[in-house]
Amino acid sequence: MTTNGRAAGAPAGSIYDLGYRHYEGERHGRMYATWALYAESLRGIWGLGRSASAKAAPFILLGLYSFFAVMQLAFSSFIGQAIQSGEDVGELFAYDTYFSQWFLFVVLFCIAQAPELVCRDQRYSVLPLYFTRSLHRFDYVLAKLGALASALFILLMVPMIALFVGDVLMERDTLKAIGDEWPKALPTLPACMLAAASLAATSLAVCSFSPRRAYAAISLGAYILIYEAVAGIIWGMGNDAGWAWADKPQLFGPLTSLMGATYWFFGKVPNQDYGFPPTLGAEAYVLSALTLMTLFAVTLLLRYRRLAA
Amino acid sequence: MTAADRPLAAAPIIELDHVARWYGNVVAVNDISFNLGPGVTGLLGPNGAGKTTLLHMLAGFLAPSAGDVRVLGRRPHLDPAVYRQIGLVPEREAVYPFMTGLEYVRFNARLQGLPDVDEAARRAIVQVDLVESQDRAIGTYSKGMRQRVKVAGALVHDPQVLLLDEPFNGMDPRQRLAMMDLLCQMADAGKTILFSSHILEEVERVGSEILVIVAGRLAASGDYRAIRALMTDRPHTVTIRSSDNRRLATALMAEPSVFAVELGELSLSVRTAHLSAFRRLIAGASRDAGVSLLEVAPADESLESVFEYLVRR
Amino acid sequence: MTALPHSTSVSLIPHIALVTVRQLLGRRRALLLLLLSAVPVLIAVLYRLAGAEKVDGFAGGVLEVLCLNLILPIMAVLFGTAAFGAEIEDGTIVYLMAKPVARWALVTAKLLAAIGLTAVLAVGSVVIASAIAIVPLGERGLQATEVYGTAMLVGAVCYVALFVALSLFTRRALLLGFGYVLIWEGALSNLLPGIANLSIRQYSMGVGQLFYDLAPERARLEPATAIPLAAILVVVATLLATRRLMRLELSGSGD
Repeated sequence: MTTNGRAAGAPAGSIYDLGYRHYEGERHGRMYATWALYAESLRGIWGLGRSASAKAAPFILLGLYSFFAVMQLAFSSFIGQAIQSGEDVGELFAYDTYFSQWFLFVVLFCIAQAPELVCRDQRYSVLPLYFTRSLHRFDYVLAKLGALASALFILLMVPMIALFVGDVLMERDTLKAIGDEWPKALPTLPACMLAAASLAATSLAVCSFSPRRAYAAISLGAYILIYEAVAGIIWGMGNDAGWAWADKPQLFGPLTSLMGATYWFFGKVPNQDYGFPPTLGAEAYVLSALTLMTLFAVTLLLRYRRLAA
Repeated sequence: MTAADRPLAAAPIIELDHVARWYGNVVAVNDISFNLGPGVTGLLGPNGAGKTTLLHMLAGFLAPSAGDVRVLGRRPHLDPAVYRQIGLVPEREAVYPFMTGLEYVRFNARLQGLPDVDEAARRAIVQVDLVESQDRAIGTYSKGMRQRVKVAGALVHDPQVLLLDEPFNGMDPRQRLAMMDLLCQMADAGKTILFSSHILEEVERVGSEILVIVAGRLAASGDYRAIRALMTDRPHTVTIRSSDNRRLATALMAEPSVFAVELGELSLSVRTAHLSAFRRLIAGASRDAGVSLLEVAPADESLESVFEYLVRR
Repeated sequence: MTALPHSTSVSLIPHIALVTVRQLLGRRRALLLLLLSAVPVLIAVLYRLAGAEKVDGFAGGVLEVLCLNLILPIMAVLFGTAAFGAEIEDGTIVYLMAKPVARWALVTAKLLAAIGLTAVLAVGSVVIASAIAIVPLGERGLQATEVYGTAMLVGAVCYVALFVALSLFTRRALLLGFGYVLIWEGALSNLLPGIANLSIRQYSMGVGQLFYDLAPERARLEPATAIPLAAILVVVATLLATRRLMRLELSGSGD
C-alpha cells in the first residue's frame, strides 16, 4: 500500500496502479450462466462440494428409498430359484408400483432439499447478484427447476435400475433375460421423468413463497400430505353419498396424479385394484400430471418475476 | 503477550489468563492474557481477528478451550448468576420487533429480578435518551434507536461490567457522540466497559486504553500513545515550526537520533527513531542554532498509524 | 452475586411464555395455522352435507388419519421447532441467555407457550369438527370426541416437547421431525409392533382409551402404559433441553 503523501500545496489526485488486472478474455453468455447455475444447484442438492452433514439428508433418503429394490436385487438368486421351483414368493416389487409404495421418502427428499434451493437466495438477498448478470429471471427458474428435476430423476431411477438388474439376475440366461426385461422396464423412463418434473415444479413453487426454510418446508409437507389425505377422505365420503365429483380431487393430487400417470405408461388401468377410484381412465391422470406441472412452473415464474431484486 | 496490568487498588474486574479458543483446526483466540479494571477499554482488530469470540467468552456463551476467563472473580460460562453484574450489547440487530421500547426494557428489568421494574426501566430509558420513542414498537425504530434500546436493556440492572460488540454500527455522528458520552459517564461512575470496534476514530475519542487483536493474538495493550512510543523500529515524524526552519534543519541533521529532515514551505518534518531522545535535544539544538521554536507537534500519533503498524507486523 | 431464587425464576415463566406466544404468532405462521385448523372443520361440514351417519368412519378416517396423524404433528413441528429455533438462527437468543434466569425456567416457559398454542388449536379444531359431524349422532359421537380430543392433547404435549428438545440439538430438527412421524410412527410401526412403546401416536391413542376401549389394532397401548411413558418422554425431553441450553455455544457471525 502506498503511504499518503504529506505534501501540502495544490490539491492533486493520483491513481495508483496496484496491479489489478482487467479481464479482457472471452466472456460466456446466458447459456453458460444458466448451465453453471444448474450444475451448481444440482451439486448442492446432493451436498457435493459442501460439508459432510449436507450430504447426509439426500444420501440417507436415497438409500432408504432404494433399500427394498436393492434388497430384492441382493436376494435375486434366491428369489429366482424359488420361482423356478414353483414356490409362491408373494408380491415382488415392480416398476409400476414401487413409487406408490415408497413415495414417502421422495416426499421427504423434496421437503429436505427444495427449500435449500430457493429460500437461501431470497433470505440473504442474493438475487440481485444473479439478475444483474447475463442471467435472466427465466433462466434462473429454469436452472433451479432443472436441477431439482434431475436430482429427483436420479432418486427415482436408482431403485428402478436395481429392480432391472435384480430381475435379470433372477433368470438363468442373462442375455435373454436382458432382452425380455428391457421392454418391460422401458416405460419407467418417461414415468420417472414426468414424476420428477412434476414434483420439482410443485416443490419449488410452494417453497419459493417464503424466504424462511422452516415455513417453506412445512408448507410443502402440509400441502402434499394433507391434500392427499383429504382427497382420499372426500372420495370415501362422496362415494357413499353418491357425489359425482368425489373422485376428482384425487386426479389433481401431487402424488396420486403421478401414480395414475405411471400406470398409463405401463398400459395398466388405475382402478380399485390399485386403490384408485374406478371411474377415471389412466389418460386423465397423465393429463392432470402435465397440467399440474405446467401450472406450478408458471406460478414459479410469476413469483420470480414479481420478486423484488 | 504480557498482561496490561494497571495499578489497581482492588482485584481486576476482568481477567484473562492464557485464554485460547479453537474450532477443530481453526484457532480463533490464541493465548490471550489481560486484566481490566474500571474505565473504558477498546477492543480493536480487523474483521475475523477474534473480537466477537473473545466477547462471547467473557459473556459466558463460549467456554475457552484453554486458559481461564474470570469476570468479577467467577467463570462466566455455565454461571447464569454472573449476568446480574454483566450487561451485554450484542452485535445482532434484531430485537423483539413487536415490543415497544419501554416494554422491552421492562422485560429485561424483570428478567434481572429487579424489585422496582418500572423505576429501573424509566431510568435506563432516560439514560439513552429514548423517552419520546419509548411507546413505539421497536420494529419502527431506526438502526441507531435500536442500538440505544439494546443499551438501555443492558444497563437497566446497573451492572458493573458492560460488554458491547460494535456499538457504533449504523449510528449517525450525533448519535455516536451521545453514545460515547454515555460510555464515558459510566466509566467515570466506576464501571468496567469493554467495547469492540474497527473504527479507530471512535476508539480514540472514548478512551485511550486499547487492546489490539490480530489473527487471534493480542498484539498490544494499554494506552495507545504509550504503545506508539514503544514502536521503536518505526520512525516517528515530528512537525516543527520555527523562526528559521532551514537553519534548524541543518542543525538537526547533525544529531544522531535524527535520520531524515524534510523542509516544507511552512514547517519542518523530522523523522526520528527515538522520540524521547529527540524531545530532550530539540530545545538545546534550537537554542544553539539561534532559532526560536514556534510549534513542535508529533505528526503520526494517531491510533490509525498505531493500528496499521500492529496489523501489518 | 447469587443466582435468582427459584421462586423468582418460576414467577418469570409466565412473562417469558407470553413473549414467546407473541413471537410464535407472527403473521405467516398464523395464516398457515388457520388453514390447518380449518381443514377438519370444512371436512366436517362436507360430512354433514353428505348425510353420512357413521361415527366410526369419521372418527377413523378424519379424526385419526387426518387430525391426529397429520395435522397435529405438523402444528407441533411448526411451533416446537420455532420456540427456540427462530431465535437461535438469528442470534437473538443471547437476549434471553444473558439473564440470571435459570435455564430450566427458560425451557419451561418456551414449552408452555408452544404446547399451549398447539393444544388449543389442535384440540379446538377436533372438537369443533366433531361437534359438527358426529356429536349430533348420539352417544358414540360424544365418546369419539372425548377419545380423540384427549389424544390430540396428549399428542400436543409430547410432540412439542420432543421437537423443542430436538431443535436445540440439530439444525435439521424439522426434517427429523417429519421423518419420525412419517417413517417411524407411520410406515415402520405397521411392520414392527414393538415400536408402539416408542411412538407418540400410540401414547396419544392409549390415553384416549380412558374414555372408550378401542380395538388393539387401533390403539396398542393401555392407558396404564401410555400415561407413564408419555410423562417420561416429556420429563426427559425437558431435562435434555435444559442441559443443552446451558451448554449452548454461540460463536457469533464472522469475526
